[in-house]
Amino acid sequence: MANENQISYPLDEAVDFVIVGSGSAGGILAKELSTNGFSVVVIEQGPFRTAKDFTHDEISVLMFGELSSGNNDVHQQTFRNDESKEAELAQGQPPAWYAQTVGGSSVHFTANFWRFREVDFKERSLLGPISGTNFADWPISYGELEPYYSRVDWEIGVCGAPGPSDSFRSRPFPMPPMPVKSSGVLLEKGSKALGFEVQPAPLAILSKPLNGRPACIHCGFCMGFGCEVNAKSSTLAAMIPAAMASGNCEIRAECAVFRVGTNAEGRADEVFYYDPDGNERSQKAKAVILSANGAETPRLLLNSANEQFPNGLANSSGFVGRNLMFNCHSLASGDFEEPLNDYKSVQVTRIMHHFYDADPARGFYGGGGIDARPLFAATPAMYAIMGGPPGDPKWGAEFKNYIAHNFTRNMSMTGNATSLAQDSNNITIDPTHKDNWGRPSIRLTYKDHDDDLAMATFLQDRAMEIFDAAGAKRAWRHPVTPQSSGPHLLGTCRMGDDPDSSVVDKFHRSHDIPNLYICDGSSFVTSGRGQPTMTIMALAFRASEHIMAAARNNAI
Amino acid sequence: MSNEALTRRLFLQGTGTLAGSTLMRAGIPAFIAVSQAACSAKEEATAFENITNAEAREIIAIAARILPTTDTPGATEAGAVYFFDKALGSFLADTAGPARDMLAAFQSGIAGQFPGAEVFSDLGEADQDKYLKSVEETPFFQGFRFLTIAGVFGMAMHGGNRDDIGWKLVGMDGPPHAWVAPYGYYDAEYAAAQEQQNGE
Repeated sequence: MANENQISYPLDEAVDFVIVGSGSAGGILAKELSTNGFSVVVIEQGPFRTAKDFTHDEISVLMFGELSSGNNDVHQQTFRNDESKEAELAQGQPPAWYAQTVGGSSVHFTANFWRFREVDFKERSLLGPISGTNFADWPISYGELEPYYSRVDWEIGVCGAPGPSDSFRSRPFPMPPMPVKSSGVLLEKGSKALGFEVQPAPLAILSKPLNGRPACIHCGFCMGFGCEVNAKSSTLAAMIPAAMASGNCEIRAECAVFRVGTNAEGRADEVFYYDPDGNERSQKAKAVILSANGAETPRLLLNSANEQFPNGLANSSGFVGRNLMFNCHSLASGDFEEPLNDYKSVQVTRIMHHFYDADPARGFYGGGGIDARPLFAATPAMYAIMGGPPGDPKWGAEFKNYIAHNFTRNMSMTGNATSLAQDSNNITIDPTHKDNWGRPSIRLTYKDHDDDLAMATFLQDRAMEIFDAAGAKRAWRHPVTPQSSGPHLLGTCRMGDDPDSSVVDKFHRSHDIPNLYICDGSSFVTSGRGQPTMTIMALAFRASEHIMAAARNNAI
Repeated sequence: MSNEALTRRLFLQGTGTLAGSTLMRAGIPAFIAVSQAACSAKEEATAFENITNAEAREIIAIAARILPTTDTPGATEAGAVYFFDKALGSFLADTAGPARDMLAAFQSGIAGQFPGAEVFSDLGEADQDKYLKSVEETPFFQGFRFLTIAGVFGMAMHGGNRDDIGWKLVGMDGPPHAWVAPYGYYDAEYAAAQEQQNGE
């Protein structure tokens, strides 16, 4: 545990802010508010691990979900692909998949770190409505968010180099991109042959030391793992230490919030949670910020329903939980003649954004990018479990010889695409199941829009062409099918100017409860092209400025 | 709980996170401690702690057909059976009983197909492969395949992958897992071309 010497606030004295969740948004808000003199209590479900706790152990981390608190036996989430069906308890991985640890999913993410572009914020105006969806513009522009993207670059730590079609940036990257890997070289080779531009991948991993943190040692254990040297730019590495050092921030780890209480004036005034021993506790607060992620935030709001707010907190619009977006994905893999050794270093070193913008000529909405990475071939057990192409032997001498030869010669290309916001994709409360804390469980309803699947398939088609142009010995597709789980949890408390069709305003203050703020992936209006964390973090920096200004003006 | 339901819970489906309720109740640190103990036990070549010698023979025989010994080491040399032994005494302990039932069910079909044989390890390799082919879609085999792979390629601290045999088999260097570029053939070639271009 890393929080033994921190400040301890009394439960019955209202702190300035209680923040629920310590991840990509919560960690930044905790640091910004506490270092500016506000008293902050952060309540986090997971343990307070630090770099020394992170391992390269595939079995405990990838197979048993060490950083996500295990499989769905613990979470008891249910899933259905249609609201008319009864949701079923998911097997294995929970449908809403995220890390439970201080720093949240920024600890175990791949660190693929794309900014949105100007078009992402105003696509509805550019393209017009899409029937049956809640496709909408954001209430903010890229220009409004850009200064905060730059803050993320420099304060969180992002390496990279500008791409040919990126939106403008006010500051250069603070450090160069990672050395290109063979997978990146092959993506570049194949793409260039086809006339597609390629660029170095922006990554939230340090290629050079920054702010007292060391550079990456290129161990290769990024995707799904915590970083043992603090080179990955999680909020655990980049923000939490400053928050703790402020003397104003208490992090209560292994505590699970189950309700936000409101007073007679309709203001949030108390946060109820289970402590590590399972005892009910509550913390008084002058204001509450929910940064629990796009699945847990709406669950908490809905589970906090009371007489005053019978449909859940901040839910007069009925939009809490709606418009869940996973980002759609596709995947192609290939083997090459010579060793790539792609298990070494970071996952992604080159990306292709030639098809970022939507193009009505394709016949469907959507845009996205392709990245090159080892994916399964980053670690040997996961690679062997997947094996080679469908139809190849999965056991026996031929199988063994195949994996022995090709582990070092294999790579994948991931198509990262848009998801459309739909009412029918949502987070609700399961009527039957409860999680290991006793909280009514997440019920996740999701079915990819046909356009999203079409865009993902389009990118897979291009990936197959790139493999061919790059000289792959063999390449194959993984089926593009509707998703039943995802780590990108977006859109479920969307921001907007209209209280009838959004949950929070453009500054993340809930329309209904003036001292309740919501800032995480749930704030998104559109999904972007598959890499949301950079935007979550930029939103958090921006929100923190507005929240502090409001607090100082006695306007919360 | 039915066998099928249990095996669904026990064994990996697709690429997602594997079941591990017992592990989570016990806590990861306890899991690591048990695994380290497994490693020590392996080094001392002690008897199995959680499986019988007869069960061990069957596990060794099945695992050896999934990742056989050829001109390179396989599951036997990697000590995958020690991974099974420790897993069934720790994070898979609550499924050990039903797993034994499933093994018995797996074995029950052998005598009918191969007169004179009672258990899998009685069979020659060709018959072993023939029998496994007939059951390869079953949850038992899928789960066994998963655990064999985990035992060969997982970290040695869990009892298998002794002397990093699994990692060496696929050409993975290390530990300590810290690298500098160039990493592979194509990026080395790319860097050389860039260097030549810059020098001209």
